[in-house]
Amino acid sequence: MTRALAVTFNALSLYAVALVLAAAFAAQLLLHELPCPLCLLQRIQFALLAIGPILNVRFGPRPSHYALSLLAAVAGAAFSTRQILLHILPGDAGYGTALLGYHYYTWALIGFAAAIVLLAAILLCDRQFEPDTATTQAPPGAFATSAVCLVIVLTALNVVSTLLECGFGPCADNPTVYELLKRGT
Amino acid sequence: MEFTALFLAVTIVMLVAWLGRRSLALALFAVVFLASIATYLHHATDTLKLSF
Repeated sequence: MTRALAVTFNALSLYAVALVLAAAFAAQLLLHELPCPLCLLQRIQFALLAIGPILNVRFGPRPSHYALSLLAAVAGAAFSTRQILLHILPGDAGYGTALLGYHYYTWALIGFAAAIVLLAAILLCDRQFEPDTATTQAPPGAFATSAVCLVIVLTALNVVSTLLECGFGPCADNPTVYELLKRGT
Repeated sequence: MEFTALFLAVTIVMLVAWLGRRSLALALFAVVFLASIATYLHHATDTLKLSF
């Protein structure tokens, strides 16, 4: 795999992270299901997962950039596993609505596990790490730049959304209202 | 509030990774990653209802 192809794959992975963050927003806004603290932590890990690909797009692929994503994916998998175990007893309806039979935290575990496998697979391709023959690295294209901007905007929107949900105090374990909007009314 | 701060911190790391120095982005990532683990450990107080 060439450096250019690796950068394209990294841009695609950023679109995948953007899709996850957008889907979480869609569930929050359309189904009026506010994310719990563990759900927010999993979103944060998905956002952290994007930093490796952003660095790969900007500075070129390096193993250390993939390592950042691996760390975030392992932590995210641990967080989602804990939430699955919290609701594992028979009769426990789980937290939130199930999507295609799985709750969001189960989908999160599947997503983090898939990320770990994909990161391991792309790390097998050594050619992407060979020095570029061009004297200067080409600037990222529109496809990659859009992916980076999309992820950054979605993460920034989470800042606003979480501030509205939690206010300036600790987040509720089972949030049902936006604390900051409640105080305003 | 801590989650808002974490999302804000991640946004800043992303901006540094895209616009700033690589070494600073790596250092900031480490700080935010450790902060997210610490937040998890702070909140993971519910006992898992498991028995073997």
